[in-house]
Amino acid sequence: MVEEYNIKLMAEKIETIRRTATELKSISGGIQAIDRNADRILASVKMMEINITDVVDIINMEQTE
Amino acid sequence: MIASERYWNPVLETLLRERIQRLQLKKFQRIFQWAYEHSKFHHKLYSDAGIEPGDIKTFDDMRRVPKMEKAMMRSAQIKEPYPYGDMLCVPLEQVTEYHQTSGTTGQPVYQPDTWQDWEWLAESWAYILYAHGFRNHDRVFIPFGYNIFIAFWAGHYAAEKIGCEVVPGGVLDTEARILKMKEVRATALIATPTYLLRMAEVARTKLGIDPAKDLYVTKIATGAEPGGSIPATKKRIEETWGAKLYEHSGATEMGAWNYECVAQCGLHVNEGLFLVEIEDIDTGELITESNRMGKMVITAFDRIAQPCVRFDSKDIIQWSPIDRCECGRTFRLIKGGVIGRADDITKVKGVLFAPTSVEEVVRGIPELGNEYEIIVDRKGEVDDITLRIELLPEHREKINAVQEELLRQLRIKTNLRYNLEFCDYGTLPRYEVKSKRFKDLRKGG
Repeated sequence: MVEEYNIKLMAEKIETIRRTATELKSISGGIQAIDRNADRILASVKMMEINITDVVDIINMEQTE
Repeated sequence: MIASERYWNPVLETLLRERIQRLQLKKFQRIFQWAYEHSKFHHKLYSDAGIEPGDIKTFDDMRRVPKMEKAMMRSAQIKEPYPYGDMLCVPLEQVTEYHQTSGTTGQPVYQPDTWQDWEWLAESWAYILYAHGFRNHDRVFIPFGYNIFIAFWAGHYAAEKIGCEVVPGGVLDTEARILKMKEVRATALIATPTYLLRMAEVARTKLGIDPAKDLYVTKIATGAEPGGSIPATKKRIEETWGAKLYEHSGATEMGAWNYECVAQCGLHVNEGLFLVEIEDIDTGELITESNRMGKMVITAFDRIAQPCVRFDSKDIIQWSPIDRCECGRTFRLIKGGVIGRADDITKVKGVLFAPTSVEEVVRGIPELGNEYEIIVDRKGEVDDITLRIELLPEHREKINAVQEELLRQLRIKTNLRYNLEFCDYGTLPRYEVKSKRFKDLRKGG
């Protein structure tokens, strides 16, 4: 069933969100309203990584073996 | 129905078995390394055993990792930083949630969680509720005293995550909760088996409400006790409520690690988030075959503040003989839920005794009420076992027949003889969350 979904593209987009949220924190100047909400975004990103990116990593490992 | 509507995550829940195992190995390596590098407790535990992250290359290597036990957690929590001690893997500032175990087996264990951990707990519960059939059109009532115990907090947030409308029934009393459920026409419910039976009893006897006819609940998520997987208890609850009852298992320090799907042929271990091993109670030998009870050792792959790596849960479980569930999930099934705790499964008169088998008998006799109490004591050199039960008032004249049937079934199920005490209806203790119906006075319990 994994083949029915474009999980590699999903993983790329998840990585983009992580990068963007992390960059946002780095330029926030310590504004708590940004940092804390970015942390919440990153926690949600982690859930998407658990659900999709970790599986993509396994499939990529298979292909390189 | 398309797959994305049937599963919370079709990618993970239908992954090929070989891929699940690869994923588990990778995730075990990751959490082991995290714990080794970020907690003095874990570092010492593993260093003393001569094992470090680079040594974990296969499943057999994972089995070499020393197990954690609750007593070790208690000892570690005496140390700094207060109150979590040196198991803590993140700075205290990153802890956003405090909970604790109920202390059933001793001093409570404190459970710190970061915001990411808290998301993870809700995520594990989203798998559960979605598999039970909870959807965004459901109005979910949670009759739970929101407090320091983790129990249904995550159910609340998971229901939100799925898109359900959540009605928190926190500080209301039982009657008010039932009336509120009726008023808002709640379609789904999350509660312990004990409290489901209690609510139904109050609804009928005090409010004249028949939950099956007068309420709107069609599905119920239950856990925290074995009842949801005891057929007689499950049947009783489903009939009383006119709703399907779905079970899951979890614990404060582990997370919610399994769930029943709508096919109801066992409980799927969430193998994307957890590694579950079953070991022989006496020898510690790994059990991979079905229908053989053993003790669960569990790893939660993604909880970081206080990692749960090869935790000796003392929960007794067994693999199911069903290889593939009709729901299409590839996560392995366990049969009969958590059958008991290694601490509770004890020898009485030399016979291995599990209190759940008594519940199966009591709840299977329609003339008996829901409550019961088992008391094991020692008279001289001999174990003595008393069962207290309540006869429903409308069946008073059947006491002799019920007594005969009860003793007969108990003998078949448990191979033991009991002293029976029929108590007046309504006099045995009623519970709202976890029950304590088994008292072993030989242990001073």
